[in-house]
Amino acid sequence: MSHPRPDLSVAIGPLRLRNPILLASGTCGYGRELADLVDIGALGGIVLKGISLKPRPGNPPPRIVETPSGLLNAIGLENVGIDTFIERKLPSLREIDTCIVSNILGESVEEYGELARILDMAGGVHAIEVNISCPNVKAGGFAFGTDPAAAAEVTLAVKESTCLPVIVKLSPNVTDITAIARAVEKAGADALSLVNTLFGMAIDIRRRRPALANVFGGLSGPAIRPVALRMVWQTVRAVGIPVIGIGGIRTAGDAIEFLMAGARAVQIGTISLVNPRASTEIISGIESFMREEGFSRITDMRIDR
Amino acid sequence: MKRLDISAPVLSQQDLGHGILLLAILAPEIAKAALPGQFCMLHAGSPETTDPLLRRPFSIHYADGDTIFFLYRVVGKGTRLIAAMRPGDVIRILGPLGCGFSISAETKNILVGGGLGTAPLFFLARSLPREGTTIMLGAKTSGELARADAFLPHAEKVFLSTDDGSLGQHGLVTELLAGHIQRTLCTGFLPLVSACGPWPMVRAVAHLCHINGIPCQVSLEARMACGTGLCLGCAIPRSGGGYLHVCTDGPVLDAALVDWETSQ
Ligand SMILES: Cc1cc2nc3c(=O)[nH]c(=O)nc-3n(C[C@H](O)[C@H](O)[C@H](O)COP(=O)(O)OP(=O)(O)OC[C@H]3O[C@@H](n4cnc5c(N)ncnc54)[C@H](O)[C@@H]3O)c2cc1C
Ligand SMILES: Cc1cc2nc3c(=O)[nH]c(=O)nc-3n(C[C@H](O)[C@H](O)[C@H](O)COP(=O)(O)O)c2cc1C
Ligand code: FES
Repeated sequence: MSHPRPDLSVAIGPLRLRNPILLASGTCGYGRELADLVDIGALGGIVLKGISLKPRPGNPPPRIVETPSGLLNAIGLENVGIDTFIERKLPSLREIDTCIVSNILGESVEEYGELARILDMAGGVHAIEVNISCPNVKAGGFAFGTDPAAAAEVTLAVKESTCLPVIVKLSPNVTDITAIARAVEKAGADALSLVNTLFGMAIDIRRRRPALANVFGGLSGPAIRPVALRMVWQTVRAVGIPVIGIGGIRTAGDAIEFLMAGARAVQIGTISLVNPRASTEIISGIESFMREEGFSRITDMRIDR
Repeated sequence: MKRLDISAPVLSQQDLGHGILLLAILAPEIAKAALPGQFCMLHAGSPETTDPLLRRPFSIHYADGDTIFFLYRVVGKGTRLIAAMRPGDVIRILGPLGCGFSISAETKNILVGGGLGTAPLFFLARSLPREGTTIMLGAKTSGELARADAFLPHAEKVFLSTDDGSLGQHGLVTELLAGHIQRTLCTGFLPLVSACGPWPMVRAVAHLCHINGIPCQVSLEARMACGTGLCLGCAIPRSGGGYLHVCTDGPVLDAALVDWETSQ
């Protein structure tokens, strides 16, 4: 039995993606860095490294440590700052034919609004992902992602500052992710993405000290996938806006689990650090699966429950 | 810069004792593009494994024709899996990566290696004229002075040292270097020092060069997730503030760029 070519395109609010695979923030730089290793034009989109108002030097080393099937990182959101980003990184991104999402991180509600306003005027990005969930920054970030009222306030400030679609990226380090998700939806978010990294740590027993200089870090990779999938399932059933699933996706099968849970699209993070071609391999794997199982659209795979 | 990510066959795996091995991989495009001081990310274990999750970085020991060689020590999970690979097995290899040594054939070159710091220096030695090149290698004990013999045809002088005195001079390679620097400076030549080894040794070399006003390049290590500039995990403090990224700014760096005080 042969099926017609499945349609992999998806809509995230007003955004149209050619397929549901995006690269996750912090794992694909500003896009150009991996242009020789992966065909970026074949992807649904890329989410750029988180940008703040001022440049951030990042945390002291060691910044990363491997754990079973996982990666703990405390990069500390090292980035060039919005001005340099717009001047030096954005122009070359305009040549890439894919959806470009800029990820932002503020230290106050006002800063989030300011970042959104600047990006809106700069042109060249198609959507904004608001990071209210990074566990590695002491001031800001984290607190917004764990309190529904604060999360809503940030969302509102960003929505008021831009016409671009706004995706709010949620933290898994909360007791009830659906409470935050509902608050952010009510504040006007166009979509949600989840999860960011899980707060964790490791100890170097020979040196008798935490393995990361920052003591704590964010856990990513296959180790977190079941937790992320559960949270996506719950969130999809709590809100009406599209949800982008993130967390430990390594294979097409992993991505399909998130799509069946109801995610409209997924982001690939840690695995593309290990295997730069993972994202494009996942796209062709999803297409084969849909052919085999007779699915014609991505949303047809969602489990109704 | 062309980086390749390929699956390539292992040609040979030679056990040099003391947990040190020499791995040969058939990877023509990487071998042809490779420059001394660059490195590759090697995938340990089966393609399906997620533990270990990350690839491991290794300096290119040298490239010869279509073959690329790595000199490495078994220290943990990943290197144990790589050591278990046999000729014919296929390994996933990404490279060549990073910035290599600057090669200056006009000056007198001094290459200083500690322990497995010899790994990238061999490729450099092969790329320099024999005349005017001095090589100084040190290790804890004679068995760990891996492939010291291989350097002999590539240098005017080769000096060895061991911490326990089992081979060459009894003591540290930096002590050898201190004496040699004085003698070279007396002849009126300003040499270029290239160093690789454990952090304290490389730092001592950088310091020696700094106080004598000698240019020095160092090959450094850092924990890496990607090796390609994406994760920003491989940071080391830059002198004057901020960070350098070993995988893209290095692994070979001008010693003057590194903040040796705050680092490690
Ligand atoms: C640019 C560069 C070049 C290198 N060249 C060589 C070489 O030519 N020969 C050689 O024997 N070794 C080399 N190393 C070190 C080598 O990468 C580590 O020994 C190896 O990653 C250890 O892996 P493991 O799983 O066996 O050890 P584990 O201890 O199980 O490793 C756990 C984690 O720590 C990291 N790690 C452990 N030790 C080091 C280290 N010294 N540097 C960076 N990361 C480390 C691993 O990558 C891994 O993420 C190099 C490192 C770098 C950064
Ligand atoms: C090295 C690294 C850097 C990251 N930087 C950011 C960032 O700047 N902004 C952000 O929102 N998420 C960041 N993340 C989180 C990822 O985008 C993703 O949410 C998380 O890693 C889970 O997905 P994964 O398991 O596929 O990696 C980072 C993750 C890693 C591993
Ligand atoms: S190892 Fe990822 S940026 Fe250097």
